[in-house]
Amino acid sequence: MLLAVKNLTVCYDTAMLLNDVSLNVATGELVGVVGPNGAGKTTLLRTIAGLVRWERECKRGTKAGNITIDGEIHFDGQRIDKLPPDEIARRGLVLCPERRRPFRELSVLDNLRAGAYLVKDHRVFQQSLESVYTMFPILKARAGQVSGTLSGGEQQMLAIARALMTQPKLLCIDEPSTGLSPKIRAELFAKIREIAKSGLTVLLVEQDVSLAFSLSTRNYILSHSKVMAEGTSDELMKDEKVRQSYLGLAGPASA
Amino acid sequence: MRRYLAYLWREFRGEILVLPGRTILFSATAILLILPLLYPHPYLLRILALTFIFAIFAASWDLLSGFVGQLNLGHAIFFGVAAYASAILNLRLGLPIIITIPVGAVAAVVAGLVVGIPCLRLKGQYLSLATLAFPVILMGLVFMFTEFTGGELGVSGLTRLAPTRLHEYYISAFVGVLSILAIWKITDSKLGLVLHAIREDEVAARASGINTSQYKLIAFCLSGLFAGIAGGLYAHFMRIAGPQSLSMLTSFQAIIWTIFGGIATIYGAVVGVFVLFPMLEVLRVAPEIRLLLYAAIIVLVLRFMPEGLAPWVVDRLERECPRCKEHNAFTRRECRVCGTPLRVPLQKTPVSGEHMSGGEGLSASQEGG
Repeated sequence: MLLAVKNLTVCYDTAMLLNDVSLNVATGELVGVVGPNGAGKTTLLRTIAGLVRWERECKRGTKAGNITIDGEIHFDGQRIDKLPPDEIARRGLVLCPERRRPFRELSVLDNLRAGAYLVKDHRVFQQSLESVYTMFPILKARAGQVSGTLSGGEQQMLAIARALMTQPKLLCIDEPSTGLSPKIRAELFAKIREIAKSGLTVLLVEQDVSLAFSLSTRNYILSHSKVMAEGTSDELMKDEKVRQSYLGLAGPASA
Repeated sequence: MRRYLAYLWREFRGEILVLPGRTILFSATAILLILPLLYPHPYLLRILALTFIFAIFAASWDLLSGFVGQLNLGHAIFFGVAAYASAILNLRLGLPIIITIPVGAVAAVVAGLVVGIPCLRLKGQYLSLATLAFPVILMGLVFMFTEFTGGELGVSGLTRLAPTRLHEYYISAFVGVLSILAIWKITDSKLGLVLHAIREDEVAARASGINTSQYKLIAFCLSGLFAGIAGGLYAHFMRIAGPQSLSMLTSFQAIIWTIFGGIATIYGAVVGVFVLFPMLEVLRVAPEIRLLLYAAIIVLVLRFMPEGLAPWVVDRLERECPRCKEHNAFTRRECRVCGTPLRVPLQKTPVSGEHMSGGEGLSASQEGG
């Protein structure tokens, strides 16, 4: 297993955001995590990437800092749940955060250079820059442009490209479809499929179930802070209870 | 030899003369370095030397507060620590300037750690409020150990920076130019890119594997180093290190100069000092309303140039190429790097239905332009 989350429970003060969540990602998989708003999907990724622990440290001593994290996270055979976020990224678990978060005043190229902070070898940098530009030609055309002036779809592509520049072993993408038109979503997901095909392991958090299911090899359905179901897209789509309760699809599967 | 000169000239023309902003900065520096030889008036030299010293101080504030976004309202602590350290070393131990000023700067770096470590967890206004406290605390210590610090009177009677005013001026000017160039170079380097990324989004920076705490401390130390150099120079130039070097006014002067000149640009901070500090002297012609005029000018300039004086001027004199984002002199019709036309509005590309592949169409039309 590349990533193994064991019995993870996260509470913010008295609110339980994750309740005994276990999840596995094997090398080469594209695993989807789907579920409604407030299910804990983003918290799950933020906890895996070490951001929740860091938040707790920053807010230690205040009410907002009253966060409990319980459970274990193993990545690449080592325990990572006590590590700071930059060390987790250094080990190859890279998060492409929710709402894209580009470095808004930096140019597209400088965003990518900052993403490649850990890459010390200039040749490796040039190679990954080339491959990112091949995948997202628009970023090459916009290389000198300040990233805050990009469109939403371009910013999402930049965020994914920046995460790829960090040379991940596991790429975690949080809600890439937010605020994008159906057409751009489809194009973006085609790119994510391409990334997964190239051999990179991907953990994808997504609200749009049909989009997520169209790419993923395996899925977890997260609802009310718990893992409610797990399986391949086909299995889950055939399960009547899952369709009705979590996917909002009434009626039998039309397959 | 001749080939080397030709190379230098080409570099000079290609790097400095092509841009009006750089040309102005270069000529201003050249004039400041030559003028005192032609007109060595002691009063003028004194003002200009102090301007150079404060320019380092303002640029160091801009590095930490503007460029890295760690708004420091107690920047005087670095200035004061270095001033007192140099003064005490010079007076009690009789060490020469060549040692006291660097040691003072190192003391300011330590002060950077002392301020930076407790402030790592703080952000925004909370960080600013915390930094505000440090010079006040140190001021309290200064008044507690009066036999060591001189209390209200400070430590006076230091060695002069140099035997003559002219020498003092040139020491300040050279250290000033070198320090400011160094700060400028830092913001332009890979370290600068990382620091800028931290200012933009600390979470995204951490997710990219950047240890933001470590880099914020580096920023505190670097800023402290340069502010410390300024503090040491000031102490030896004025031949006194007093509690006013730790006062709130010292901190706020750096802020006023930098915001007036243009924050987060480094050169803006320097321009701000070179306009405002001598202006305060010129305004002595009307001593009763001197500070009123000073404030009115600052308010008016910021009303019409909200990003500061220097960026406003650069915006008028230089044009950014829409394609490669290189700056060009306003007189040029096409970009000096990629040849894209600058004045004519870009040709409208037909709106294509496909957003993503539409981008390729745009780049193709730009290459044609």
